[in-house]
Amino acid sequence: MMQKSLPDLVSDAVAIRRKFLKMHYEAKAGHLGTGLSDIDILAYIYGKWMRPADRFILSKGHGASSLYATLHHFGLLPDEDFATYYKDGTLLPAHPAAKALASIPAATGSLGHGMPIAAGMSYAHKHIHRSDARVACLVSDGECDEGTIWEAALFAAHHRLDNLTVIIDANGLQGFGRTEEVMNLEPLPQKWEAFGFRVSEIDGHDFAQIETAFQAQGDERPHCIVARTVKGKGVSFMENRLEWHYLPLSEAQYQQALDNIGGAEKSKDGGGR
Amino acid sequence: MRVEFVRAVTSVLAEDQSAMFITGDLGYNALEQLSSTLGRRFLNAGVAEQNMMGVAAGAALTGLKPWVYSIAPFATYRCVEQIRNDICLHALPVRIAGNGGGFTYGIMGSTHHALEDLAVLKSLPNMQLFFPCANDHVAAAVAKMAELSGPSYIRLSISAFGTDRAALHEHPETLTRRYFARPAPRKGGITVVGAGHGVQVALHALSHLGLDQENVDVFGLARYPFDFAKDTELLASVAETRKVIFIEEHYRSGGMGESFAASGVSFDSFRIMCAAYTPGQRYGSARFHMNQCNLTPEALMAAVRGDR
Repeated sequence: MMQKSLPDLVSDAVAIRRKFLKMHYEAKAGHLGTGLSDIDILAYIYGKWMRPADRFILSKGHGASSLYATLHHFGLLPDEDFATYYKDGTLLPAHPAAKALASIPAATGSLGHGMPIAAGMSYAHKHIHRSDARVACLVSDGECDEGTIWEAALFAAHHRLDNLTVIIDANGLQGFGRTEEVMNLEPLPQKWEAFGFRVSEIDGHDFAQIETAFQAQGDERPHCIVARTVKGKGVSFMENRLEWHYLPLSEAQYQQALDNIGGAEKSKDGGGR
Repeated sequence: MRVEFVRAVTSVLAEDQSAMFITGDLGYNALEQLSSTLGRRFLNAGVAEQNMMGVAAGAALTGLKPWVYSIAPFATYRCVEQIRNDICLHALPVRIAGNGGGFTYGIMGSTHHALEDLAVLKSLPNMQLFFPCANDHVAAAVAKMAELSGPSYIRLSISAFGTDRAALHEHPETLTRRYFARPAPRKGGITVVGAGHGVQVALHALSHLGLDQENVDVFGLARYPFDFAKDTELLASVAETRKVIFIEEHYRSGGMGESFAASGVSFDSFRIMCAAYTPGQRYGSARFHMNQCNLTPEALMAAVRGDR
């Protein structure tokens, strides 16, 4: 378990964003917006929350590259694997693959799969192994269209899986439109509460709020953190723009994005100019 | 087969503390004993099969070996992507039990029939299929599933033409059953191969319609992928008769008959008797449906006569 201070985590998130942009620029890969919206949450989970027995499931599998960048930043993904992202022969495709990396327990990418898996892990740890292992699961807001999210929510609440934390990356944009236009989810916190969760609603880019939510004393209910985020966070021309779910970066855009993110060249993997 | 399945799986669960049992809210008058003795290792996941398969995968990722039980169509088609992504791609030891293979559920209607379960699952990576021929075949299949480190499926069925005709031999690995005593070397004749409880159609013909035991060899398959290198009696029979009639209570497309035909076994004639719905389909007992699609002992007798 790393015990990063909040200022350290802010710096970590900058470094992860730079690493993430470099990956995408070099690979000419899309899914930039979604990664930038969840990197602060991932930085907290891997920089502070996670203990050795704990597990993280990326139910929003399209956030894989932000997870790869985070794992690599914290030394949990070897350089030689990381360098192959998106290339032929890689173990790091655009959505996490099965049995590919020790640090990623489950393949995801078809939405609505990770949360049932996380619920099953939580049930097993709490009720069968009787261990104190915890499970965190990151779900996108658009993913809440999937019925299995709510099947798993019923299950987790019924079995009092207080070792499960579900984080909703609520950036308000999904595949082909704004969430409120495609399939309105609001009021999202009240929905999760009605399904039997303890709910925290936070700014998903504010580390103090992220920490308060993760550290809040619970009860027997599973915990849902509705993290209000900005798709494309940190890069002015990407923020809240649907097209950055799909587009790759040109060189000029990459340089502008690095300027927006700020931070220094911290490592060989940071974005370079 | 449900009684035999519960008995066998109860034994597995008693011996292996890492095994657990998950039901999709089914098992009235069958699972009460398991429910009361397993504690939290027994889990009723409710009427939510997709979540149930994901939960099973999650539990397996922590080192558990879940048996997951539902009615065959609900345990397969409803959640096939969860089986594919969450279980099969990770090669997890999740054992799926589908009750009511083929037309077993009869008058319950087409939503409850399972005529393509094997087709759907056989294409999935790492998946092994078990389809016992008779009640006394179930325990061996459960024991094999319990040995596997990867996923498996068992199709539990009741044949409308079921007999209690005993197998004369059962291969310890493939579980393939031989139901004839015709000594080698043989000349001519026909090899009848049934997949799972489909073989009961042939056994009914043997027991009640005087199917020619001098010239007809009857085998029951129970496991996929096939391993015909081990099923030497079956290979020898087909090599001598060169004629195969394959019987399965399953659609032709994607069924075990197609797989058999593509397995490299050499023959001169191959005919599949299989399940189907007909235009203007009406509904009834399992036997009604078997009659409707000509999947009967009488039809087999005719096929044997016509094929000779």
